[in-house]
Amino acid sequence: MAGIKLATPAAKPEEYKNVFVFLETREDKLVRPALEMIGVGKRIADKVGEKLYCLLLGGNIKKEAKEAVSYGCDVVLGAESPDLSVYRTLPYSKIISDFVKQEKPNIFLIPATRNGRDLASRIAVSCEAGVTADCTELDIEQDTRILSANRPTYGESMLAEILCKRHRPQMATARAGIFPVPDKVQSPKGDIRINDVKIEKALLRKEILDFKKKNAVDLTAAKVVVSGGMGLGKADGFKLIGELADEIGGVVGSTRPAADMGWITRDHQVGQTGQTVRPRLYIAAGISGKIQHIMGMKNSETIIAINTDPNAEIIKYSDFVINADLYKAIPPLISSVKEEKKKLLAANKK
Amino acid sequence: MVLEIIVMVKQVPDSQEVVIDPVTMNLNRSLTRNVTNSADENALEAALRIKDKVGANVTMISMGPPQAETTMIECLARGADRAILASDRFFGGADTYPTGLTLAATISKLGKFDIIFAGEESSDSSTGHVGPGVAEFLNIDQITYASSVEYEDGYVTAERELEDGTETVKVPTPVLVTVLLNSNSPRMQTLRRKIDAVKKGMEMWDHDKIGLQPEWVGVRGSPTIVRKMRPIKERERAAKKIEIDNIGDLVRELYEKNILKLEEE
Repeated sequence: MAGIKLATPAAKPEEYKNVFVFLETREDKLVRPALEMIGVGKRIADKVGEKLYCLLLGGNIKKEAKEAVSYGCDVVLGAESPDLSVYRTLPYSKIISDFVKQEKPNIFLIPATRNGRDLASRIAVSCEAGVTADCTELDIEQDTRILSANRPTYGESMLAEILCKRHRPQMATARAGIFPVPDKVQSPKGDIRINDVKIEKALLRKEILDFKKKNAVDLTAAKVVVSGGMGLGKADGFKLIGELADEIGGVVGSTRPAADMGWITRDHQVGQTGQTVRPRLYIAAGISGKIQHIMGMKNSETIIAINTDPNAEIIKYSDFVINADLYKAIPPLISSVKEEKKKLLAANKK
Repeated sequence: MVLEIIVMVKQVPDSQEVVIDPVTMNLNRSLTRNVTNSADENALEAALRIKDKVGANVTMISMGPPQAETTMIECLARGADRAILASDRFFGGADTYPTGLTLAATISKLGKFDIIFAGEESSDSSTGHVGPGVAEFLNIDQITYASSVEYEDGYVTAERELEDGTETVKVPTPVLVTVLLNSNSPRMQTLRRKIDAVKKGMEMWDHDKIGLQPEWVGVRGSPTIVRKMRPIKERERAAKKIEIDNIGDLVRELYEKNILKLEEE
């Protein structure tokens, strides 16, 4: 068959050096998970005294290459072509695989976004390498330079540590929203190598007919999130959630079932198939706490649950519990916030 | 020429009933019920809708132990025409690389294909990597995370749901498509079809039949290994009870501790 391509161990693993990260872009702008990759990639590279290489593909990426350097990237390997201004599997995986085969990195990290996952195992197969999906912890063993790739499994109850000892590069995708965006470096020094490339016609057979941008609700950057679940009982309940969110400068979140019911749009969804959040305050109203939702919000600093069920799963994950009907609890919450703000403003003026 | 559609399915432990052995930290398979991976049911439905419209042969393929037969029969009873289970003791312990290789080799063995469907990911390992891996082995294009799929005159048009929006793409066949969970309503099995499915049964193919060497597949063909498993320890949280009458105190505390801040308004 055409497809038999075996995962072949690297003959000389010691020849593979440096850390690669793929910088995903949208309309030639770095997406937030790309910055997260720079942070985790830099930490791993520094630990073994190697360089961080960032791979950047797009139509016009010179500004973004400088941006990557400002976050601590040592080398930007870029490929520029009008055909790369939108993500397409075949040209992206071909160019990236070529970079990998040529430069032989020890480690290669890709954000576990939808396009990142679209790419990762294609590159792994193309390079005959192993890849660990959706890691939440990444580290490197200093003496062996073996990547410790840790990913949640069995419904997020266990953490599996996965190694890829003999194949190179050691690849992993990293869950978005877990690794912090790094601070900008003081005096950035980075080598930018961008090549104009021509893409074979055969790789461009996928036509992108349309892209409908969502009203971007970026929950990942929110400091305060107020989420509603099935306990709201009706679509209208999200009005009350929205009122509370507005009052405390928060963003509205939801569970998957609430979005499935059409009570709110998908882009508000927090959890395994939605966004991962880590705000200072997370309020879960009428949310029972299914594991898929917990996964997306358990790293919030402070969690308040509002639920009529004293045995709801969410309570185990909460710092404060208001054991009441949310329609009875949220209005006094809103009025207390108004009152408190008034007091604080008055005190500030003095 | 009849359209040839392949649907990749997986039998997974029922996520509601996962039982972990406290000693080995592994899944206790004898206590865990097995079901068809939900997103794969959406993948099969997407295939059957194309079959309804333009006619097609729909072949299910899976890799797994012989008990995956229940899943294969269930898929036949929903309307698939043929079911092949790649099953061999050598396939055990495979990571996504040899899993993709085994499925791709099985597809190659079948001959011509136009569209390969799969679920967006499996509920147990949630990598989403096997579909694209198969596409790379077969050297074909792919559409991942599709919420709707249409076929017309040698082209698949699909909507892909991304983090920031919906992309509409059009690709000539052959193409591999991964379908989002809950993107359609899978049809029910009918009694009639169920009887036919049991009569028809599935085929079981081993490494030899597929044309793979034992050392290429399963745990031996896997670049990655699991070094250890540990339970994820959650941070202890106080779950302090607040009565409705005391909500004012809670709000004051949130502002005092800077959990809520004035400037966020």
